[in-house]
Amino acid sequence: MLNLRKHRWLAVLMVLILAGVTACSSGNKGGNDASSSSGPSSSEPAEETASEAPPAEHVDLTFMYWGSNDEKKAMESMIEAFNKSHPKITVKGEHVPGDYNTKMNTLMAANQLPDVAYLGDGLTNKWGSEGKLLDFSQYYDQYPALQNKLKASYLYTEPGKAVANFTALEVMVLYYNKEIFEESGVPVPPAEPAKAWTWDEFVTVAKQLTKDKNGKHPGEDGFDAKNIDQYGFSFGSDRGTYGPLLESNGANILDESGTKYALNSPESVDVFQKLQDLIYTHHVSPDLIQQQNMPDNHVRLQTRKVAMVLDGTWALLDLTNNKKLKWGIGVLPKLKEPKTVILAGTTVVFNSTKHPKEALEFYLYHNNPEQVDLYRTGLWMPTEEKYYTEDEAIKSWTDNEAHPPEFLQAGIEYTKGYAVKSPSTQIKNWPEINAKLAPGLDLIWTNKKSAQEALDELESQIQPLVQGRYPNE
Amino acid sequence: MKRNKSGILRMERKWGILLALPAMLGLLMFTVVPVIASFFFSITDWRIGNEMTVIGFDNYATILTEDSTFTKSLYVTTYYSLFSVPVCLTIAFLIAFLLNQKVKGLSIFRTIFYLPTIVPSIASTMLWLWLFNPDFGLLNSMLESMGFSGSRWIYDEATAIPSIVLMSTWSVGNTVIIFLAGLQAVPAHLYEAVEVDGGSGWRKFYHITIPSMTPTIFFNLVMMLIGTFQAFNQAYVMTQGGPNNSTLFYVYYLFRTAFTETKIGYASALAWILFLIVMTLTFIIFQTSKKWVHYEGGNK
Repeated sequence: MLNLRKHRWLAVLMVLILAGVTACSSGNKGGNDASSSSGPSSSEPAEETASEAPPAEHVDLTFMYWGSNDEKKAMESMIEAFNKSHPKITVKGEHVPGDYNTKMNTLMAANQLPDVAYLGDGLTNKWGSEGKLLDFSQYYDQYPALQNKLKASYLYTEPGKAVANFTALEVMVLYYNKEIFEESGVPVPPAEPAKAWTWDEFVTVAKQLTKDKNGKHPGEDGFDAKNIDQYGFSFGSDRGTYGPLLESNGANILDESGTKYALNSPESVDVFQKLQDLIYTHHVSPDLIQQQNMPDNHVRLQTRKVAMVLDGTWALLDLTNNKKLKWGIGVLPKLKEPKTVILAGTTVVFNSTKHPKEALEFYLYHNNPEQVDLYRTGLWMPTEEKYYTEDEAIKSWTDNEAHPPEFLQAGIEYTKGYAVKSPSTQIKNWPEINAKLAPGLDLIWTNKKSAQEALDELESQIQPLVQGRYPNE
Repeated sequence: MKRNKSGILRMERKWGILLALPAMLGLLMFTVVPVIASFFFSITDWRIGNEMTVIGFDNYATILTEDSTFTKSLYVTTYYSLFSVPVCLTIAFLIAFLLNQKVKGLSIFRTIFYLPTIVPSIASTMLWLWLFNPDFGLLNSMLESMGFSGSRWIYDEATAIPSIVLMSTWSVGNTVIIFLAGLQAVPAHLYEAVEVDGGSGWRKFYHITIPSMTPTIFFNLVMMLIGTFQAFNQAYVMTQGGPNNSTLFYVYYLFRTAFTETKIGYASALAWILFLIVMTLTFIIFQTSKKWVHYEGGNK
């Protein structure tokens, strides 16, 4: 009796240990086996059983996304509208603030993926090429709307295999404080892409707008570079800054074959040297350390810390909400030809979903300008082609205070005719390459090395990580 | 009578196991199993989302021979540790020594020095981010008002780690408490003996306080060494490892490898190498401790 009881305890213990071990090891397999996925991630068991019901009955989907409070509100009302209009589908939105990639990686490792989710371009490419994402091209017949988006908004991991689409189109543009320009009597940055400033014109203007505490400009006698009150221009240190300029100068991160590091080519070095010169030779831009400690771009403009900033079109929302600021939008200066890049996150449908059709239905709804307010408030630009070509459609999302008149050129025309996907979105293994690239570029931004030296040194670190490029269609 | 007793024993044993079970299971599931699992992963090439194959000790070989980021992060962490541990130990000891004196409002001082330890680590890191701000941070404002030129603090390769050491001296509260307990346990008769022999305050400190405190110093040294090798928040919240990887702490690099680059196998190998490093260091300190740690009434 006593022995048996002892054994019973032992048995219970063993079972619990076993449960712990197997629970772990089944999670350890990662997303290897999509079919074994337990459906949408959910902490409520009730939902999981519901998702196992036949699709004709009722379908539960989870949708995971990041973003500001404004974005969260817009998503919540979109989800609510979707659920009302689709009685057989219930979407549960989950807003993830903070470290989104870590969260997604963990969910992937634990096989707890949502059905539909935002994703950074690096992970999209990685998981897309590993077959973890729904290939949209096989649904073109069923959902024609899937293929009427602007060509540059698709991500392909194999020719013709579109694994994702940018959630919204975002291009890099130049914003400026209108009042500063008026007071200085300097013409504002051109909005028409064909009339983009040359680099020299841009530097001249930036100098006129830079003032030290005595009101002197760079180049004038007695200019005090250590006490600058107002900078002409500020830029970030990442691909949003050097990306468009590389494109404009005909340079690239990798060479044409996509197999060789090319950031130390003369065209590319030129771009980085010009940026370094803005800070340390022309004194028209704050260095990266000052920048990191400056407020958001719209506040920099509003407080006259900076006259022009380089930012994405998503910034329209913040700029519009800042009622004290009179701002304008222009195109970036050109090096060889006017160019900008599209830089955005994607929304994907995971292959592990049990309800791809319903997921696609929601997918098409979630970035439809008729359903989501984020287009009219400035955060997003549509991906569908008609919103760039048909007057009525253009008006439907741009005829409001978030889109000043010059947006038609600096936003729409720029995107349609001059924007290419950021080269980084096509590079295989980009997250790892960037992990080496960013610290290496710090040497340029902090003036420790010239652009040529820093970019030459990076070659030996980055070349071993180069794995080629994804196709463009 | 006899049967009855064994019944109680049996019941006690049953309840004992039952009540200890949650802790045992917790240890098993959240410590033992993950440790074993991480060793297993470290000999595979598992990347999140991919098939996993066992590749033996290739990860270890790659880390030790090819990975320049590993070398850098190990250097950064060692530099931080070698700098931070002596500085923090000394400061904590001095604070504890002062707090052990008989002055008015002692409990208030004790509270003040302990307070930063209660502040959540992320919150205090955010706070220091503001203090370090080169343009309008408190530290630079103070330096400049005294006529010195400001520093770039965590934003400059050369000053990044010293700045983080400065920050770490702020939250030595726990160490202070342990030192304080140690100080109060120093037998008063030893001090009296020095006094009888006409020894000064310094002699008391040097001949009585420090030798009596060596076990406490030893304990704090080991704990702090382990702690500094696990530095993470500073890099995660303040610098993201920059500029130019000058604050790329080992654990932050490990985290980034696992969750940004999705290389769980490789990151697990990194974790085991860290474990071996910390274990070796601890072992070395234990070995040397025989020479300098004095236990009262024990083998000196």
